[in-house]
Order: sequence, then C-alpha cells, then structure tokens
Amino acid sequence: MQIKRRDFLKAGVATGAAVAMSGGLTLNAFANGKDHKTGSSHLEPGKWVPSTCQGCTAWCPAEFFVQNGRVVKVRGNQLSKANSGYVCPRGHIMLQQAYDPDRIKVPMKRTNPEKGRGIDPKFVPITWDEALDTIADKMLELRKAKEPEKFMYMRGRYSPTSTDLCYGTLPKIFGTPNYFSHSAICAEAEKMGPGYTQGFFGYRDYDLAKTTCLVIWGCDPLSSNRQVPNAINKFGDIFDRGSVIAVDPRLSASAAKANEWLPIKPGEDGALAAALAHVIMTEGLWSKEFVGDFKEGKNLFKTGATVDEAAFIEKQTHGVVKWWNIELKDKTPDWAAKKTLIPKEQIIRVARAMGKAGSATSVWMGPGVAMTPRGTYTAMAVYALNGILGSIETEGGVFQSSSVPVEKFPEIKDIFIDELAKKSGKGKKIDGRGAKDMPAMMSAKPGSGVVTNNVANGMLKDPDAIKVFLSSWSNFNFSCTGAQRWDKAMAKVPFFVHMVTNASEMTQFADIVLPSTFAPTEKLSIITNMANLHGHMSIQQSVSKTIWDVKSEETDVMWLLAEKLKAKGFANLHDYYASFEDPETKKKPTNAAEFSEIAVKITSQKVWNGKEKMKGDQIAGWEDFKKKGIYNSETYKYKKNWGKDNAETKKFEGKFKTETTKFEFYSETMKKALGEHAGKHNTTVDDILQVSGYEARGELAFVPHYEAPKRHGSDKEYPFTFIDYKSRLNREGRSQNTTWYQEFKKVDVGDKSWDDVAKINPIDAKKLGIKNGDTVRLTSTTGAIITKALLWEGVRPGTVAKCYGQGHWAYGRVAAKNYAKAEPRGGNNNELLVDDYDRLSGATARNGGFTGVKIEKI
Amino acid sequence: MPKYGMVIDLQKCVGCGACALACKTENNTQDRTKGQTFNWADFIMKEEGKFPDMKFTPRPVLCNHCTDAPCVKACPVTPKAMHKHENGMTIHNQERCIGCRRCQQACPYSSEDVDKAKTAYSVISFNDFEDVVHPFYNDKKELIPNCTASGAEISQKTGAIPPHRTLYEHSDYVSVREKGKVEKCIFCEHRVLKGELPNCVVACPSSARVFGDQNDPNSAISQLLKKHKAVQLKNNKGDFLKAGEKGTQPNVFYIRSFSARK
Repeated sequence: MQIKRRDFLKAGVATGAAVAMSGGLTLNAFANGKDHKTGSSHLEPGKWVPSTCQGCTAWCPAEFFVQNGRVVKVRGNQLSKANSGYVCPRGHIMLQQAYDPDRIKVPMKRTNPEKGRGIDPKFVPITWDEALDTIADKMLELRKAKEPEKFMYMRGRYSPTSTDLCYGTLPKIFGTPNYFSHSAICAEAEKMGPGYTQGFFGYRDYDLAKTTCLVIWGCDPLSSNRQVPNAINKFGDIFDRGSVIAVDPRLSASAAKANEWLPIKPGEDGALAAALAHVIMTEGLWSKEFVGDFKEGKNLFKTGATVDEAAFIEKQTHGVVKWWNIELKDKTPDWAAKKTLIPKEQIIRVARAMGKAGSATSVWMGPGVAMTPRGTYTAMAVYALNGILGSIETEGGVFQSSSVPVEKFPEIKDIFIDELAKKSGKGKKIDGRGAKDMPAMMSAKPGSGVVTNNVANGMLKDPDAIKVFLSSWSNFNFSCTGAQRWDKAMAKVPFFVHMVTNASEMTQFADIVLPSTFAPTEKLSIITNMANLHGHMSIQQSVSKTIWDVKSEETDVMWLLAEKLKAKGFANLHDYYASFEDPETKKKPTNAAEFSEIAVKITSQKVWNGKEKMKGDQIAGWEDFKKKGIYNSETYKYKKNWGKDNAETKKFEGKFKTETTKFEFYSETMKKALGEHAGKHNTTVDDILQVSGYEARGELAFVPHYEAPKRHGSDKEYPFTFIDYKSRLNREGRSQNTTWYQEFKKVDVGDKSWDDVAKINPIDAKKLGIKNGDTVRLTSTTGAIITKALLWEGVRPGTVAKCYGQGHWAYGRVAAKNYAKAEPRGGNNNELLVDDYDRLSGATARNGGFTGVKIEKI
Repeated sequence: MPKYGMVIDLQKCVGCGACALACKTENNTQDRTKGQTFNWADFIMKEEGKFPDMKFTPRPVLCNHCTDAPCVKACPVTPKAMHKHENGMTIHNQERCIGCRRCQQACPYSSEDVDKAKTAYSVISFNDFEDVVHPFYNDKKELIPNCTASGAEISQKTGAIPPHRTLYEHSDYVSVREKGKVEKCIFCEHRVLKGELPNCVVACPSSARVFGDQNDPNSAISQLLKKHKAVQLKNNKGDFLKAGEKGTQPNVFYIRSFSARK
C-alpha cells in the first residue's frame, strides 16, 4: 500500500499542472465524504491522580493523568497554593523518566572485580533475595569484626519524611557515625546569610504577588531555586507594579527579562552588597520602622565618617552602627565599581530603586552568592540588605519558611541500640566536620554541618575506613566538584551497594545494584515543603502500573534488609520497624508494603485525623488525603517574628532565634559560635579564620562584609573565570537521558539543543581564534573537559559560562554519547571545578569565580 | 461561529518550555529526525546587541492557523486533507493525506528540512514513508543485557507507543500519526470541542497564552488585542508582518515585550 501510494504521488507531482487546472484531484481512496468544516472528538477517559514531583528542590505537588494504568500527562496539583496548580517544564519530563528504556528492571551484581571509569562492571541479573542476602552478610561481617563504623550510608535526593527510616535509623541502630547527606553540595552556604543575621538557617520564601522590587541575586528563579512554578507564575506582573533587578555574571532568563541586569564580576558580590548598603544608609533610605533612627533625626551616615553608637536607637535590629563603622563607611559605589565592574551610576540607581520600594523589596539570594570559598560572609552581606530595607516578613518582602505539622516516627529507644552500636556510633565522621579548618557551623553549632564532598577525601586518605558503602538516589561521581576524586575513591571501596533507577556514573562502581522506584510515579511517601507563603504536605504514591521489579529504597528495601539481618541474628532494626503502629487500626506491620503504608500514615496523620483542628485545609481522613494529595497550611502572617516592647517590663521581647533575639547586623550569634569552635581547638578566632581561608580578622568577622574572591589557577595560566549555572530542565542531573531534555535544551538561555556549549564573549573568541561551534578544551587546575564553543554576548570578556547537566559518560543511551565506551555527551562542569569549601558552613564551592580555566581550540 | 486565535503575552512568558513539552505529552509527537522537528509548539530565539546591552527574546511559536492558509491552498486532494474548519482552525485529515508535502512547501512558517534550511522551527513536519514512527520506543537494544529495559519492552509492557501516549479520537486526525503523513498543531481541537483549552494554554505556568474567540468582543483574547498593540510572525525566520501587511492572516498574536529593558 505504501509503495503504491508513493508511486501514485510521483505521478501526481509530475502532473502538477494538471492538478492545478482541474482544481484538485480525488487521489486518496480513504478520503471521507463527510462535511469537513466541523470536527467531532472523543476524549478517552482517564483520571488525575495526585503525587509529588521531585525534579528540583521545589518538590511540587503535582497530578498525573492516568489512562489504562499509564501516566500520560502532568499538571500541578490544582489545590496547591505553592504552585497555583502548575508545574514547570521539569514536571512534564517525568513521563519520559518513568518510561526511560534504560531503567534498571531487576537487581544486578557485578561480575568484574576490577573497578574504574570506563571499566565494564559486567553486571548480571540476580534476585532480590540473593541481593539482600549478600548485603546483610557483608554488613554483619563488620559487626562480627566489631567495626560497624566501617559501614557508610550516603543519601542523595530523598523523601523528607521516609529518610528518617533509613538515614535517621539504619546508622544509629547498626552503629556507624558515617552517614552523610548530599546537602552541602547543593546550597547550604545560603543558609548562613539569614542564619547569622536573623537566626533562621533555612530557605526563604517571598511575597511575589506583592513585591514591587525583586532583586534576584546569584540565581535564576525562573529556572531553578526552590519554587520555580510560583516564580514563573508571578514574575510578569511585577513589571506592572515595579521593577526587577538581576545580579548575575551571565545573562540568565531572569536577567533577560529584568529592568536592570548587573553582570557582576564573579565573586565580587560582597562589594556590590556593601556599596548598595552604603548608598541606602547615606541617602537615608533604610527602614525606620525595622531598623530605627538617629535620636536627633539627622542622618549621620556620611561616607568615611565613624558614627557614635549611642546616637542611634535601634528597633528590631542589633548593631547597625557597628556594621557601618566596621565595614560600610568606606564602601562607596566608586570603590565597588572597581571591584565589581558594574558602573557606579548603575549601583546608585539600583540602591535608590530598592530604597524607594523599601520594605516591599525582596532580595532573593541564591547559591551564586553563597556557594563560594568565602561564601558565608557574602551571603550575610547580601541577605542583610533585606534587614536594612526592613523587608523581613512584610508585604512584598522576604519570609522564613512555612511549615506543616509532621508527626515523628516512634523514638528509637535504647533497647534497639546495643552496646556495640552505641560505642561505634559515636566515632569520628570521615567528612572532617569540626576540624580546626572545617568549622561547619550550620545552625550556629560548630562541627554540625555535613561536608559531603570531603567524604571522598576521607576515603582516599584512609582506604580502610569504609568497607561497606550503601547509597541511594545519588551520583556523587557526577554531581560533586572535583568529580575525578570520587572515581578514585569509589574504585577502592570493597563493597558498594547503589539504590537507583538508572546505571549512573556512580553505579559503575557498584557490587550490587538495587533498582529503585521512580519516586513521583511509583513510591509511597510524604513530601513537605513551602512556597508562596504556604507550607504544604503532599503525597507521593504509585499512580501507574509498576512495570519493573523495583522497590522504594527508604521503606520497602529497609524493611526487607531488616528482615534479612534479623534472620542472620541482628534483629534490632527489624524490631524497631515492627514496633510501628497504624494510627487508625493500631495494626503493626508484617511486611514491606504494610510498613510503607503505616509509615506514611504516621507522618501525615495530624493533617487528616481530625484530632486537632488544622489552621489550613480541612481534610476528612486518610482516604480524603490520598484523593486530594495535599494539605496547605495557613497563610504566613506578616511580621510574625517581629518583637514587641513589653509594656510591663519595658523590655523588648524579640522572636528571632539569634543571641540577641534581634536581627543582627553585628552577629553576636557568629561571635559565640566562632568563639566556641576556637575554644574547642584551644586557639583564637583569628587563627580559625586564617586556617579556614577567610580574610577577616578581629571585629570584621562578626559583621556581614566583603571578602575578596579566592581563585584557583593563576590569571596567567588560567586567564578565564569559569561560571557554572543550572538548567531549567535539570532534574538534578537525572533528566539528561530523556530526549525532551535534549530537544529543548535551547530554553536555557543561549544553549543549543542536543549539545553542550561553553559561552565565550566574541572579543575573547576572536583573540583565541575560536569560531562558533569549534570544539574546545577547557582546563582548570583540577581537570579538563571537551565541549563546543558558543560566541555569546551574554557573558563578560574574561569569563566563560557553561550550564551544568551534560557530560554524562553513563546513565543511559541519550545522556551519554556512548554508554558502552563511557564517552560523554559534552563535558561535566564538575570535572573542571575545584574541590574547595566555604568552611564556615562546610558547603562545597561552585560559584564566585573560584576556578580559573584556559580555553584551547582542538 | 467562533474564530479561534491565540495571544501570547511576552511580558508574562519566561521562555521556560513548558508549553512545548506539554504539547508533546498531549499529542504524542515523536522525536526530531531527518530535519523534521515534530514540535507542534516550539521556539525561535532572538539575540540582539552587545555585552552588557544584550537582549534575548525567546518567542513561543506554533501553527498560526492562518485565515488565508497557503497550506490549504496547496493541498492537492479532494476533499482537502489540509483544510479550514468553520471555527477558524486549520485542521489536517490524516486519512486523506498522501504525504506529498506541498503544504510544508507552501507554508511560510515551515521548512522541508530545518537543518538544510537552517530555520529554528517548522510548523509542519513529515513522517517518512519508510521509517517507523517513534523509533525510540521500538528499539530492542538493552544497555545492560537482561538488566535494563529497552524501548520496545517498555512499549510492550505499557501497551502503547509512546508509552505515555494520551489517547483521544477526532474525526480528522489520530493521536499518533502514521508513516507517510504530515502533521502539525491542530489547536487541540479534540479538546476544544469538549470545552477544554489547548494543552499548551493550560500548561503555561505564567498564563502567557490566551486562546479564544476573536469574534466575541468580550473574550479575553479580543480584550487583549484591543488593549495592546499586537504583532504577527511573517515566516519561520523571526520576521514580522509590517503594519498593514496582511500576509497569510495569521491568528497567533504577540503582545508586549519579553524584556523590560528598552
């Protein structure tokens, strides 16, 4: 039939003139004779089923359209206040991830003992029973040898509730201090900004529906950063009310739309923040309501002049005059213009726009500011702008996160933790936190922050430290800077178990691979998050027919592993899990499925059990919750944490969780934490700062301030400053194996579909003799990658920008250029970026121009 | 009788791509191959100026459902495969299509081969006479033999190609096209007939896309066209119709500016 039609067509084309003359031919035997001016249709029935997207940290409540047990379309949960019923482009990509042809469909074991990048593990299929038997045996060998601390668990992405069953339970009961979260490679240093000023070590929310001046700094909320659909939804209307200002060394989507783009020299953000504060202060634009005012009403903040602290009466804040005297008085726009390469006039113009909008200004700070080797202070400097503008919890301002009532799992009582576990669980962690040069002072507690990327260094230093390594939903060989170190470290691990959906780079080093559920469509879990002034709890559930022999790593697998351990003589993990009780029926779990369901019912019960009247949505019960898939909290109240003067005691009663209970421009909280850390090491704060790589000494260490950017590689040998940023289609490095990711890569401003490009300013390209599309090698002190050059006016001469995401040498047929040969598609930025830290937080550096590169045409 | 059209508000648009992806999920279009994009909703990117005054505008594009549609004129079969409906939509009837591609040649917004023509997009794509549609989900190759799946296995297990195929029926077109047929955006008429909006419209997180009846003065689209100066594309190279220039009378309009910078 096809041939015939084709032959017919050839004839038709040849007789084109006749076609025209006769006014059209009746060529097609199938042509229907119906009236073709109107159509009729039938929509196949289906059902929208709620679940949750975990493609980025927004964790959007979403819904899948299900036809005949298949997921076919995606939208935001129509009841969600966080995303107004929308998903961003990532949401749609879930369909291709769920139906990825390269999903691991059964457990596998390695048959090639040799490990390394490019070495075929020669995986063969095994049963779940064999897999879990082997894992349990290996684990128990450690306990027999009285060295359970040589067992390590690392989580990548996770469910914020189910994680307590694995990350929060397994290491404690088994007896290892070595359990680590991916968190510090993500954005932890950001938290230091609000943390050491406002006592809030968390991610902020914004009143985007009301803001009149949105200052986007070091991130691109239209593409990433924790509430993408909400940002997209409200962005366009801000221009009708006010303005958007974007500070970013490269032209981002936000910068492309903004009224002002400040293409700052990478790493100089602290200088810009100081100068903006300087202008806001000298021009009297600070918030009198939040910060206070001079006793005499006259503005004494004059460039270069020290101010008497007694002359100013503060309200909700602490130390504004100290901050001025220690840091700001000489930080003029002229000074900052030289550092940042932003014209002085633009700095002044932006400061005035912010001052004019006042407390309806939102300074939205992102990882570009903070995830740098001295990022804590830059994060504080940028965040403090919200303080002087008084936009903390105001209409149009910046907010702490909203939360929802989560019920904790039963306490892990002493009876479940034996003597060996108690003893070895208290040992030293191999991530090096709390060392003299790694203060890791998250939440104002020295030595408390995870130093994810340092784990590889710990493993390399002591290859005997970890003998059995379990990890889920992770790919540190791809996602950590200095990625090559992980290849080396992983090759030495005697026994590694990976729980994942796809055979990623890290999986190539695994001895056993357990195929995981694709969480948004196959896992039962409870997810919590916030955006748009509401917290939410949303369900993740099996919305479609599960096709492969996969299991949820934090619930099903933990239960089955616990059963195996019990059968082999170690019952504590199982006995703890088995003590759980269904909040409705009081039934205890007898298998993995029951355990998973009881676990989600426990965590979510407060929002649906009717025992307490909820301030947000009213849910009629467990079935109603499953059907709706979401609970939205009440709306965040303006000025919720502002303090008040107590009329009786005449004392100010603040609510911020700082040492002074006020917003600290002079951080007593930082002073205390640093002092505590120095005390532990019997030294001075200045010595700590010195060994941790900060410039500040003395009082400067306690105020938000400018620190010069640190750079690896000399200007001479590595003349270009590398800029890393995130794709709006990245599902945290896991979507590159979908054709839709590759096809629409071009929606990342300046990027090319099915490709990976390094963006170079045409002036530089000309000097280097590089043309559009040339293949180039980028080399840093850490490594080299090969990619294509794109001549692009959206970056400053002297810098080169490249999106993170491509460069997979494993993961699947689309992500890698050649999976079998471990050939990457493009280059992975993390093989270029240097392994370095913001040591006060323990966060990995990714931004701030800390990596110099050279560019060569090849 | 309505006259359907679409307004895209570039001030609201952020160029995220959700519309184009949502279209692929609704209409089950296959992956790009041999100069055919199969993206019924797509983008054309415009870059102007030098650092730091660079301006970037991503423009969402789709079939313009032209009132004076050259693709319809060019269709040689009777009754025409490419034809207009009374509601203004340009609809393709798969049964009558002979795959002659004259519509693709005639359409100013289409290219026979986007790679050869170096165009950013093509409204009309053509399914080759020989090649299987959706080869990705027909491929039997397993990356790790007996351990990982294959496209063919996923299709077999789900019972659909593509496995996420959205099922619907329409008197003129099918939910996945056959070999030897052209295809393009049909304004989701199967949805519109049932009182739903095109999927790109409902999926747009910024509500930048407004679909409606231009004959109804109270419709949102009429109101927006009254309030704002609108432009229409002239071709798939990013040129616009000049004031007074009719072109093919496209029914997709762009209002306001993507960038707030002048």
